[in-house]
Amino acid sequence: MRDMVFFAALLLYFAAMIVQIVSAALGRQKGCRAACALLSAGLALHTVYSVWRGIAAGRLPLANQFEFASGFAWAIAVLGLILHARLRQTWVLTASIPAAFLVMSYAAFQPMEIRDIMPALRSTWFALHIGSAIFSYAALAIAGGLGAYYLVRLSRGEREDSAAMRQADYMGYRMICLGFLLLTVVILSGAIWAEQAWSKWWSWDPKETWALITWIIYAIYLHQRLRMNWQGRRMALLSLAALVCVLFTFAGVNLLLPGLHSYA
Amino acid sequence: MTFGMLLLAAVIGFSFAGSMIPQQRPAMEYVSRYGATVGGLIIRLGLDDVFATPVFLLLMAALALNLTLCSVVRVRRLRGSGERLKERARDAQVIAAPGQAQRLDAFLRRRGFCAQAGEGVTVYSKCLFGAYGSFLTHLGLLAVLLAGALALYGGQITDQTVMPGQTLTLPDGTAIEVLSFRIEDETGRLDYASELRMTDAQGQRSAEALVRVNEPMRFGRYKVYQQTYGTAGTMRLRNAATGGEDTVYLTEPAFLTADGQNGVFFAALYPGYIQDEDGSVTLITSTSGAYADPVYDLRVMAQGQTTPVLAFPGEELTLGDITYIPGEPVSYPGLRIKAIASGMLGVLYASFVLLIAALTICFFMRPVCVAVRPEGYAIASPKPQLGLQLELEALIREEEQQ
Repeated sequence: MRDMVFFAALLLYFAAMIVQIVSAALGRQKGCRAACALLSAGLALHTVYSVWRGIAAGRLPLANQFEFASGFAWAIAVLGLILHARLRQTWVLTASIPAAFLVMSYAAFQPMEIRDIMPALRSTWFALHIGSAIFSYAALAIAGGLGAYYLVRLSRGEREDSAAMRQADYMGYRMICLGFLLLTVVILSGAIWAEQAWSKWWSWDPKETWALITWIIYAIYLHQRLRMNWQGRRMALLSLAALVCVLFTFAGVNLLLPGLHSYA
Repeated sequence: MTFGMLLLAAVIGFSFAGSMIPQQRPAMEYVSRYGATVGGLIIRLGLDDVFATPVFLLLMAALALNLTLCSVVRVRRLRGSGERLKERARDAQVIAAPGQAQRLDAFLRRRGFCAQAGEGVTVYSKCLFGAYGSFLTHLGLLAVLLAGALALYGGQITDQTVMPGQTLTLPDGTAIEVLSFRIEDETGRLDYASELRMTDAQGQRSAEALVRVNEPMRFGRYKVYQQTYGTAGTMRLRNAATGGEDTVYLTEPAFLTADGQNGVFFAALYPGYIQDEDGSVTLITSTSGAYADPVYDLRVMAQGQTTPVLAFPGEELTLGDITYIPGEPVSYPGLRIKAIASGMLGVLYASFVLLIAALTICFFMRPVCVAVRPEGYAIASPKPQLGLQLELEALIREEEQQ
């Protein structure tokens, strides 16, 4: 029954994505409102599922790849809706709904059974480290989505200095600011936790190393934006390239590079 | 791209290599995995331990130097930056919004701006201290790098296994007594917990502490971690001639003998076995927790003959005067003992807090000034302010529509 709620949320995200893409392509405002409603309904079910799973597991449901991916998708939906509520711009949904659906789909392919948490994860740092990771990745995923949206509109002949394009570019940058700050919290809280668990605050473990690579790429993005005033296409491309790094850190490292975080 | 960005790009390159190539493995592993040519090249270039190569360490030093120079340059620019920003706003070309001064004033005050009236112009400012954000971020990064290097290389780490009931004495006389060790807690959940007591060279004793993963014990300049665990076989040895008795722990293959020729060779300890209908025994080689039916794989060596024997706890094997009695296996902890100056970690964590606070100031407390004149307004900020600009544009549009 619990898993049915998860798949119902996935289905709603899928419906929201289709409605949003079609509406955005046809320029229908009503359709975008429907997509927003579908996303909200999906998010509500997703929240119910996460709380239910957390109660059943007796812990925060963020302890394995499935739970993290589910939390990641949930955070994208939350941030997407908050951003949409603030800006009232449909392109926010065009960027965030597909991202939420794709990450949720990835979660659906992971083993879903509830397992006891391993001793290494029983720490007071768990909530801060993993909680900030899902919101960091979500903000960076939305920034990547906005970058993709920007490039698609550009390829369709939209001018870079139009209000919508400037705002999409700016919001991508603001999302990266948020994601970067939270990624810093992830890395530093992880360092304190690692010192308590393994005695070393930094071990060049593949997950740590890739988190650092991701952090540096976003640091370069922010530096070039703030110092060199890079904007527009270059930044959109860089945010997409950096998102590939985020996704590799999230899933690729677990699949390809065994290390201290292999359980994640 | 600035020099700093190039250094960061180089760190990415090293990190990529260090994550893709397994680190600190025996040389032969690289040769067998990548072939003689590539494996040899990896070893010659130091890519088997890339984060310890002089080039990487030099790179980190160059990064620290670059951050220092950047911080110095920035701090010199910061003096009077608030006033300069106000000047910039005053001198900037205004966006036409005639007759909107009052509305703009109300909006900006609501958003927490402070007003400073001048001749024909009012300058509203907010978060001027945010100009320090970039400087503090560079300083925070530098502090993390320096304190991190000190914490990483300034401590001394040793790994030791200690049997429950035994005491480990460190070179400075500090003693670590392992009172007990358990793999599972009362509910059967994996726990890996050692009960320890420490005594320093002056005889000052700590309280008993339960050390788990994530819960190290601190005593003086030492921090003791639950690092790993193992299961050892036990063998009671009884000498009929002398009446003496001793118990030895078996963690690795060992030959137990009195005369160097006759005795029992311990080969391995298995956690359990499965007995088939025909009586044959299959040994279980892996376990996640307790040894349910332990089996000792022994070789009895007597008169030049070797006889393989599978023995169970409590069975007795007598060779001459010596009787060998395998006992129940004992789980033992692998402890990691770290000696580090107590303030070092405090400095490291303070640098973490500085960096996070600096980034928060840098991104979310952006200094901005808005000059409002009767004919319009102008925004000045060292950071992008499109959000504020769009809000002001929307405000003016709204008024025009009304």
